[in-house]
Amino acid sequence: MLSAVEDEQRRPQPGEGGAGTSRLIDRGDLVAALDRAAAGKVTVISASAGSGKTSLLRAWAGGPGQPGRLAVLRVQRDQQDAQQFWLALLGVVRQATGADSGAEPPAATPDFNAPAMAGRVLAELAEAPGGVTLVIDDLHELTSPDALAQLTGLLTSLPPRVHVILATRHDVRLGLHQLRLAGELAEIRAADLRFSERETRELLDASGITLSAAGVALLYQRTEGWAAGLRLAAMSLAGHPDPERFVAEFSGSDRTVAEYLLAEMLDRQPPEVQDLLLRTCLLDRVNSELADLLTGRPGSERILLSLEDANAFVESLDPERTWFRYHHLFADFLRLELRRTLPGQVPVLHRRAAEWFIRQGQVADAVRHTQAAGDWADAARLLAGQSFSLMLDGQAQTMQALVRAFPPGADHPELAVVRATVDLAQGRLDEAAAHLAVAEAHAGTAPPDRRRRLQVAVASLQLSLARRRGDLAGVIEQARFLDSPVTGPSGEDIALGSDLRAVALMNLGTAEAWTLGLSDAPDAERHLREGAGLARQIGRPYLEVGCLAQLGFASLVLHSFATTRRRCREAIALAERHGWGTEPVIAPALIMLAATLIWTGEFDKGERWLQRTRQALQTDTGPDITLLLHQTAGILHAGRGRHHEALEELSAAEYLGSQLEGSRALASRATRWLIATQARLGLTGEARAALAALDDQRAGSGEIRNARAVICLAEGDPAAALAAVAGVLDGTAPVQGDVTVMEAQLLAGLAHRELGDQRAASQAAERALALAESDRLILPFAMTGSAGLLEALPRHQTAHAALLADILDVLHGASPAARQEFSLPPAEELSPGELRVLRYLPTNLSRPEIAGQLSVSPNTVSAHIRSIYAKLQVGDRSSAVRRARELRLLAAAGRTR
Amino acid sequence: MRPHLPAPDHGRMDPAPARYMIRINGHLGATMLSAFPAMAPQHHGAHTVLTGLLDRPALYGVLAAIEALGLDLLELRKLG
Repeated sequence: MLSAVEDEQRRPQPGEGGAGTSRLIDRGDLVAALDRAAAGKVTVISASAGSGKTSLLRAWAGGPGQPGRLAVLRVQRDQQDAQQFWLALLGVVRQATGADSGAEPPAATPDFNAPAMAGRVLAELAEAPGGVTLVIDDLHELTSPDALAQLTGLLTSLPPRVHVILATRHDVRLGLHQLRLAGELAEIRAADLRFSERETRELLDASGITLSAAGVALLYQRTEGWAAGLRLAAMSLAGHPDPERFVAEFSGSDRTVAEYLLAEMLDRQPPEVQDLLLRTCLLDRVNSELADLLTGRPGSERILLSLEDANAFVESLDPERTWFRYHHLFADFLRLELRRTLPGQVPVLHRRAAEWFIRQGQVADAVRHTQAAGDWADAARLLAGQSFSLMLDGQAQTMQALVRAFPPGADHPELAVVRATVDLAQGRLDEAAAHLAVAEAHAGTAPPDRRRRLQVAVASLQLSLARRRGDLAGVIEQARFLDSPVTGPSGEDIALGSDLRAVALMNLGTAEAWTLGLSDAPDAERHLREGAGLARQIGRPYLEVGCLAQLGFASLVLHSFATTRRRCREAIALAERHGWGTEPVIAPALIMLAATLIWTGEFDKGERWLQRTRQALQTDTGPDITLLLHQTAGILHAGRGRHHEALEELSAAEYLGSQLEGSRALASRATRWLIATQARLGLTGEARAALAALDDQRAGSGEIRNARAVICLAEGDPAAALAAVAGVLDGTAPVQGDVTVMEAQLLAGLAHRELGDQRAASQAAERALALAESDRLILPFAMTGSAGLLEALPRHQTAHAALLADILDVLHGASPAARQEFSLPPAEELSPGELRVLRYLPTNLSRPEIAGQLSVSPNTVSAHIRSIYAKLQVGDRSSAVRRARELRLLAAAGRTR
Repeated sequence: MRPHLPAPDHGRMDPAPARYMIRINGHLGATMLSAFPAMAPQHHGAHTVLTGLLDRPALYGVLAAIEALGLDLLELRKLG
């Protein structure tokens, strides 16, 4: 869960937060230096703790002539979670650009898509009128290497009029050398931030402190212009009865500047203030309720507010001033002081804080404090019990950091399920399997009250793992018990059980959907529907989106293209409301929407959704959906007549299919299109070999029979093509849907046409149109190259004139293939005999008629046509004509007599 | 691809723990010294010298503490 106060998200305002900040002095030279730096792309302010980085940024932001939009992010302490960092960054950018009005803030997801997120931040930055300055403070706290790498990517591709200022204690590993070479990187370092003697004087004046020139010089010398030292000194000097004596004692002391002044400041506070500071310093942020709890008395709110007003290294994190944090330097000093003076209190305070965070449902903080209290077994149980909720909250990286914090050696078996969850979320499948085995063994020996929940957790994770591996065979049966509700004695258990159950239903329904078996389809729908309903009920939009996306994907097995498309659009709309429009969770709906658009001939729209699916799948999400992505891209290319590109995509799909055990149906779809594409490219040898490699069951399927027919047509053997599709047309061959029958009709029509039987060809085309009518499916006509077949169909004889017109529009309009194919290597030269035959291809003459015209045998004509197809790298007559026109071969053919 | 931070010793095994001397400007009081429990302090003039046996992670931990506490690091040396 990302709380708005974890990272500061507001624009710093001068004068805000009481009298204290008004003591900022005008460091004009430095502000001017920052102004100059801001002319470039990136400014890095790199200087140690307390050197005045944040104060400088405030002074600059409040200064005149600033760009209107300023987004400020302060990185949370020890930020190891890339997703939380990016969400916070997107949040401040959207706030600055006004993009957040009305829309829900983007929320975390279990499978975070970092590149897509960086892209979104860039897009928001680019769209802001007038430019944006993005400030990232405390960048050294960002310890996620992933996040740093992605941030480098962002910094090196900033849109115009966007400037980024990074403030950090030490140089951070960012690959910015290109920016430096281009003169777009400015640096402000510790030496630049040091106060001058004049500025020291101004700071004291601004704080109402009267000190002699000698005193100022002494103070300046002792602190060496260190900003935090001067600020601390000013606080001790304000109201000091004898400022000169304070400075003399300070400069006479050998203690370090930081310790002397911090101890001095702490000593000057009343006892209850000192006590509050010591007892709350273990927290990264504190509010009055927590402070009252840890100090054991009321009145903390007044103290926190007055500390901030006094500029005493305490600042509020929200405009309402409910949450506060201590300056890091001050907090670290207080923590040392607490451990030294009240060592026995440290675990007690951590435990009290943990209990408070548990009550607030802030699990990660609760686990952190339980660990810090040294209660490792409790921490392990707490973390394991909440691992599903944390995963759903998108905190996999935080979980990983929490697991790592356990001391090595003394292992807790509960953690196996946490490790498995994290590994799975981050794509380490073998490690996940190993940890799942440990978790399963542990579940068997767990006390009965926890056993059932552990078993459900393990089974749910196993399903998810099996799906990621594409190995669903057998897993589903074992997991059917997930269908029944998890119940527990207390309300909390039931709530946790609901999270678990909704995940289980999603995983089960998803696994059933991806086996694509007709028998599993109703179960898949029921489980996914129920999962979506439960998710909505318990307020888990991520799960709801996940279930609906899978439901959209699974829909086509039982429902029409229109229904499927509507479901996909609904799922996508819900995902977009949560800012997950390009997250992996919505990918099944994205790819299915793309596919349905391609099937209905809306190639450009389909391509745009395909592109979005590609963005959503940038993170590794398993072979099955990647297969579908390649397959859909393949049929799009095939529909556009780009057979080479289609071959590439379909080969990739075929390879992934060979890796999948449980999704045979998905694999065989890719196979038939691959074989057909090979044949259309004239690679009939390869196509035949692929055909021969299939077992009898697959070879007998309607889809593969169609592929065989495409080979026969490419080989110039239309009679054999007719024989191949006969079983599909008479209903004896098993088919996956009407689409297969439609395709068979078209192939039969093409074969009849080759054989000179225009009447039979027209009848087949009319039957194909009838099958296409209800869903208005256009792709099969494009893939089979049926333009000529349809054009020969007398308009008055078809009952589908409107659809026919649409199809012909697509077949002629959606053909950028013409330009595309010019980039192909030049076709092999045709022989004079082939050129003579080529001349007749644009006509309606059948092969026997061409043979008659040329006074050669039909076999010779067929052999020539085969050879022409191979040399022109096409698969059918109309493509051959188009290609021949592009290559200006028809003119040459005309001269050859 | 997940970028990895290169190991500070360029991929070799962590070297064995060694004695280090760390010189800090100013005298460290009880509070600051409690941040370095593994090191023995001595005052040398206006400086504090900390010595102790540290492996690599401990050494980087000490450096991080020096940074976090705003201490002025003057010298770091491996002894012997």
